[in-house]
Amino acid sequence: MTERRSAAILKAHRRRQALKTALVHGALILACAVCVYPLLRILAVSLRPGDRIISTDLSLIPQGATWVSYARVFAETNFLFWLWNSLVITVATSLVGVALASTAAYAFSRFKFPGQKLGLSFLLGTQMLPAGMLILPLFLMIMRLKLMNTYLGMVIAYSVSSLPFSIWILKGYFDTIPRSLEEAALVDGTSIFGAFYRIVLPLSTPALAIAFLFNFTQAWNEYLVARVILTDSFKYTWTLGLFDLQGQYLTQWGMFAAASLLVTIPVMAVFLYSSKWLLTGMTLGGVKG
Amino acid sequence: MASVTFASITKRFGNNEVLHDVSLQIADKEFLVLVGPSGCGKSTLLRMLAGLEETSEGEIRIGERLVNHLPPRDREIAMVFQDYALYPHMTVAENMGFGLRLKGFAGDEVDSRVLKAASILQIEPLLQRTPRQLSGGQRQRVAIGRAIVREPKVFLFDEPLSNLDAKLREEMRIEIAKLHQKLATTIIYVTHDQVEAMTLATRIAVVNAGRIQQVGTPTEVFGRPENMFVAGFIGSPTMNFIEGELRREDGGLRFRTEGVDIPVLGGTGGEAEGPTVLGVRPEAIAVERGGAGGDGVVAAEVEVVELLGYRKNVHLKVAGVKALASVSAAFGGEPGEKAGLRFDPAGVHLFEKATGRRIR
Repeated sequence: MTERRSAAILKAHRRRQALKTALVHGALILACAVCVYPLLRILAVSLRPGDRIISTDLSLIPQGATWVSYARVFAETNFLFWLWNSLVITVATSLVGVALASTAAYAFSRFKFPGQKLGLSFLLGTQMLPAGMLILPLFLMIMRLKLMNTYLGMVIAYSVSSLPFSIWILKGYFDTIPRSLEEAALVDGTSIFGAFYRIVLPLSTPALAIAFLFNFTQAWNEYLVARVILTDSFKYTWTLGLFDLQGQYLTQWGMFAAASLLVTIPVMAVFLYSSKWLLTGMTLGGVKG
Repeated sequence: MASVTFASITKRFGNNEVLHDVSLQIADKEFLVLVGPSGCGKSTLLRMLAGLEETSEGEIRIGERLVNHLPPRDREIAMVFQDYALYPHMTVAENMGFGLRLKGFAGDEVDSRVLKAASILQIEPLLQRTPRQLSGGQRQRVAIGRAIVREPKVFLFDEPLSNLDAKLREEMRIEIAKLHQKLATTIIYVTHDQVEAMTLATRIAVVNAGRIQQVGTPTEVFGRPENMFVAGFIGSPTMNFIEGELRREDGGLRFRTEGVDIPVLGGTGGEAEGPTVLGVRPEAIAVERGGAGGDGVVAAEVEVVELLGYRKNVHLKVAGVKALASVSAAFGGEPGEKAGLRFDPAGVHLFEKATGRRIR
C-alpha cells in the first residue's frame, strides 16, 4: 500500500518536472523567435530584387532572391571605410577602456583612500544621466582638444562613457579574489603592480571579457556621439554611413538591410571568441574554499 | 639564517591599538611558536615581520638589518599562509618556481631547486597539476615547498594546519618538525592550537590581548606558567582554578576555602597572604572514592565520568566550582559519589587573585 502511494507521489513529481521543463523551453523558444524573427525579415529584404523591395511577401527566401544588394553596398558606398573606422575605434576603445577600468577598479578594491566610497557612488551616479545630456559637453571638450574628426577623439569619448560600468564590474570581481594570493606574490618578490599584473589580472579573465565586450558593443553600435564628432564622410563609422543610405526621397532598403547584416558579423565573431574567456571558476583551488 | 628582533612594537588600526609595546628576540635557527586565542595580535605581529602590515611604532630587525620600511620582497623571508594562497592559474611547479623566476634565476636552477623541494615533501608526482586538482594536505605541502625553494633566512607560518582535518594535521605537524631539523632555519610559527605549540616549538611565546604573556621553552611554559592566562591556555585538558585564601600557619602555607584546607609548598618565603587562586592540572589530581579523610584531602562530588579508553576524565564539584581530574581507566567511581582529592604538591600553582600573577 505504502509502496503504491510512494510510486504515485514519484510519478506526480516527475509529471510536474516535465511540465516545468516544457514551460521553460516554450518560453525560451518564444524569446528566441522574438529575437531572431526581425533578423530573418532583414535577411529576406536584403535578398529581394530591386523591383520587389516594397512587398508584403513574408517568405524567408524571396522569389528571384539575389545578392545584388550586397554587391552594391561594396561597390556604391564607402562601406569598407566605415567598417574599418568602426573597427579601429571600437578595438581601441575596448582596449583603452579595459586598461583604465582594471587599474581604477583595483585601486577601489584594494586601497583605502579619502573619497573611495564617494568616488564609487559618483561613478554610479554618472550612469543615471541620459546620454543626450552629455553630448554638448563632450562636443565642447573634443572640439577644444582639437580632436574633431579623429580616431583619438572618438576613443576618448567612448572609453570614458563606458568606464564607470566597467569599473564597477571589475571591482566586484577583484573583491572576490583572496588578498592572500597577492600577499603571497609580494612575499615571493613582486611589486604591488606586479601582483596585480601577474596574479590578479590572469585570474580575472571572465570579468575582463565582460568589460571588453561591453566596451566593444557600446562603441560598435553608437550613433549619437559619432554624429557630433565625425563630419568627414571618410571618417564615418558604419552607423553614420548606414544612416546616410536613407535619402530624403528614396531609401535604398535592400542595401540598408544587406549592410545591417554585414555589420553584425564582427560583433558576433568577438562574442563567440570571447565566450571561452567567460568561463567562471578560475580562482577555484587557490585558497581553502 | 638569521635572528629576528621585535623591539617595542606597537600596532594601531585607526584608534584601535592591537599590539602594545611588544619586544621579542628570536635566535638564529630557533623554532618560535606564537600562540594565543583568535584576535590576540599574533598574526599581526607575523604580518608585520613579513612586511604585509606597517608598524605603528618600534623596530623590527632580521639579523642586524632594520626592515621596518623594506617591502616584503627585500626581507628574505618566505611565508606559508593559512589558506595556502597558491596561484590557481599556475601548475604546482610554476607555483614553486614563481619566486625564483622573479629573482631572475636561470630555468635549470629553478627546475633543480623545485625538484629538490618536491622530493623533500614527496610531491614530485604532483608537479604538473594545478592547485584545484590537489587535496588540502597536498596544497599545504605545495605551499611549504614554495617557501623552501627560496631558501629564505626566516620561514613564517601563519596557522598553516588550521584548515586540515585532525589526522592530516598530526601528519603535517610531524612533517614540519622534520623539516626544521633538516633545514635548520629560523622558523616563526603562529597558531591558536596549544598542542602544535607544545610539540613543535623550541620556545613558545604566549600572546593575549596584544601583549606577550610569557616566553619560554614548552616545559617552562607548561610547568611554571607566569599568570593565570598562560596556565589556562597551555595544557589540555585545561588547568582547574579554585579561589580561596592563602594563610601562613606554623611556618607553613595553607590554602583555604569552603570545604578545602590543604597545605601547599612554600617557595622563597615571599608569598603574600590573602586572596589567592589555586591552579592544579587534571593530571595532578588523585581521586579516592569515599570522601575526604586526612590532612590535605579535599572533599568533592563526582558529577560525570568520561571513558577515553586509556584514561578517564572525572568531572567533579569542589568548593562550589567545577573541576576535572584525569585518572587511570581503572577508576571505578560513579556519578553522585563522594570523593577525596589529593593534589600533587609539585602540580599546584598559586596566583594572586587580583592580578592573576604567579606567586609561586
